Amino acid sequence: MTYLVLAPSALQAPAVEEDESLVERLRRGEPTAVGEAYDHHHAAVRAFAQRLVGEAATAEDLVHEVFVALPRASRNFRGESSLRTFLISIAVHHAHHHVRSATRRRAAFSRLEREPSAEVSADPEAIARRKELAQALTRALDTLPIDQRVAFILCEVEERSSRDVAEIVGVPEGTVRTRLFHAKRKLREELEREGFR
Amino acid sequence: MTEDLLKAATSALREEHSGEDAGANFTRARVMASMHNTRERSRKRWVLVLPIAATFAAATAFATSGRMPALVQSVAAVFGLAQGKESPAELPKPTRAQRRVHVAPKAVPAPVTEPTPEPTVEPVAPETPPVPSAAVTAVRPTPNPAPSAALPDPSHALYLEAHRAHFERGEFARALPAWEDYLRKAPNGRFSLEARYNRAVCLVRLGRSAEARSALVPFASGQFGSYRRNEATALLDSLAP
Repeated sequence: MTYLVLAPSALQAPAVEEDESLVERLRRGEPTAVGEAYDHHHAAVRAFAQRLVGEAATAEDLVHEVFVALPRASRNFRGESSLRTFLISIAVHHAHHHVRSATRRRAAFSRLEREPSAEVSADPEAIARRKELAQALTRALDTLPIDQRVAFILCEVEERSSRDVAEIVGVPEGTVRTRLFHAKRKLREELEREGFR
Repeated sequence: MTEDLLKAATSALREEHSGEDAGANFTRARVMASMHNTRERSRKRWVLVLPIAATFAAATAFATSGRMPALVQSVAAVFGLAQGKESPAELPKPTRAQRRVHVAPKAVPAPVTEPTPEPTVEPVAPETPPVPSAAVTAVRPTPNPAPSAALPDPSHALYLEAHRAHFERGEFARALPAWEDYLRKAPNGRFSLEARYNRAVCLVRLGRSAEARSALVPFASGQFGSYRRNEATALLDSLAP
């Protein structure tokens, strides 16, 4: 099984030297360093959080937690990956309870909603279809164990390499691939069960 | 077919959440506020913990230095809880700390002298102590601090004797050798400066002008600061031929 190795995010990542000096300042406990790290990386962290959790508000809470935990966590930063990758790994470690609570909320609301959202656009049908698919995938992700969910989001949605993901999650690459394989199989079944063909 | 569907759903999810959010600024403010609160909590914790830790460390160090009994006894003496002097039986080991206990209580106004050597005090030498002289020739007694009751220091007894002879009885012929005895015993003692001046005054009173001048010059020249400077100058003027 091969995986695409693309840039983790479409957003421009800061230079490595810039990361190093920023991490040094974070370790020294400089208050402005956290703000700077936020300005550089919040979009990537938020994108991951939103994709993983599936709720904007909960994702914001997760982003907040990640950056608050950053100064202390930066002491463990060894510089083997980028600061952005390190931030994603912090998000992974803080995501568990957010994912659980978001999953519970979605399960409760899914019985009440099922109405297509009204959205004005040039191609409302395509947009509605895309939104519906995204929501269906989020619901399907709710059925996965957290490890498989993280592996799928990082590898497939964020298009990170399995090596990168292995580093973020802290498991061997083979484990990442296995988790991804099972995740995709279950997601396909779940989408079919929801009536998507 | 489902493979395509999964890819489409994945793509939709990716596009749905790009990471840009209107709440980004709000979350940034939340992060910075949380950091500020954390720092404040940490600072307050240190402000509270540091003095406690320092006090504990100092108390431990003090206790291990063996001075604790002396401190306890001093505090007890201040509050009137002391049981009086400890008998030798209560002090099995005359440690340094215990010896200090004897010194501590006397510390009210009593003189504390230093046991430096140098047993000689030349009568002609350049020094003299404190005694304000009102008029040019008149020598006025100095307001010496009253010695306290318990004074194991032998030099203090000499000081007392000289003081009595000089100011109470006005016997300058006796006071002079008494001051010299005191200065011999405690040349750098707490009252040595005063004793030097009083000795000079005695010399003036006894008419030993040459020696008196030698003794007064250091005071008048400011060798001892402003201490009795004006008085010594006035006395020297009065001794001028």
